Amino acid sequence: MKLAVFFSDMRRTEDTYERLKADKLGVILLGNGIYHAVLKEGGKESPVLTKPGANFYVLSDDLETRGFTAANVNSKVKVVSYGDVVDLIMNDYEKIAWL
Amino acid sequence: MAELTLGVFPSLVGSMSLDFSFRLAEAAMAKGHKVNMWLSGNAVMMSKKGQRAFKDYSYCEKRMKELMGKGMEITVCEACAEARGYHKEDTPEGMKRASMDWYLAKTVKTDRLLHIGGE
Repeated sequence: MKLAVFFSDMRRTEDTYERLKADKLGVILLGNGIYHAVLKEGGKESPVLTKPGANFYVLSDDLETRGFTAANVNSKVKVVSYGDVVDLIMNDYEKIAWL
Repeated sequence: MAELTLGVFPSLVGSMSLDFSFRLAEAAMAKGHKVNMWLSGNAVMMSKKGQRAFKDYSYCEKRMKELMGKGMEITVCEACAEARGYHKEDTPEGMKRASMDWYLAKTVKTDRLLHIGGE
């Protein structure tokens, strides 16, 4: 299964996240979830970004609303527009979930 | 063209997820996809017509009406609306009211489903 999950919050949701298994996993960070893409805690990147094999995306509008730019984003994460998100969920992933 | 159904539960106030829902719907329609939206839980506050736009305050009614004008189908959970005092006569023109059966039927037929939980 090709699964895309949306993270809209900075709160710890790894319990559910860690149990997710998919042949292809996409993680789309939006809202306050964008902080996973730009902040470090204790010098370490967010645990969300340590999922093996996952593809990471962050919504540019929500990034910029919070004062960040693509230059602030972890190199694992691709900056995407709303149109890109539509293409991801319509073309690249079969199932989508909101965490 | 594919069909995207959004199940939307967060309220307009205190959450940005409702705003995201309409923006995603707008982007999907701009790419030629059909979009359905189910408003339930606290998201039923969008089923009250005549919402007033203030500066720097969440407001989605204008975008919602524009999207409905372009063909987006929006249905509100009748029970959730009635429980909060939003009645049939309050409902914006073009918005449907139905039981959860409507949403369940869409989840089976739609190409993609995104269920956006509430607070």
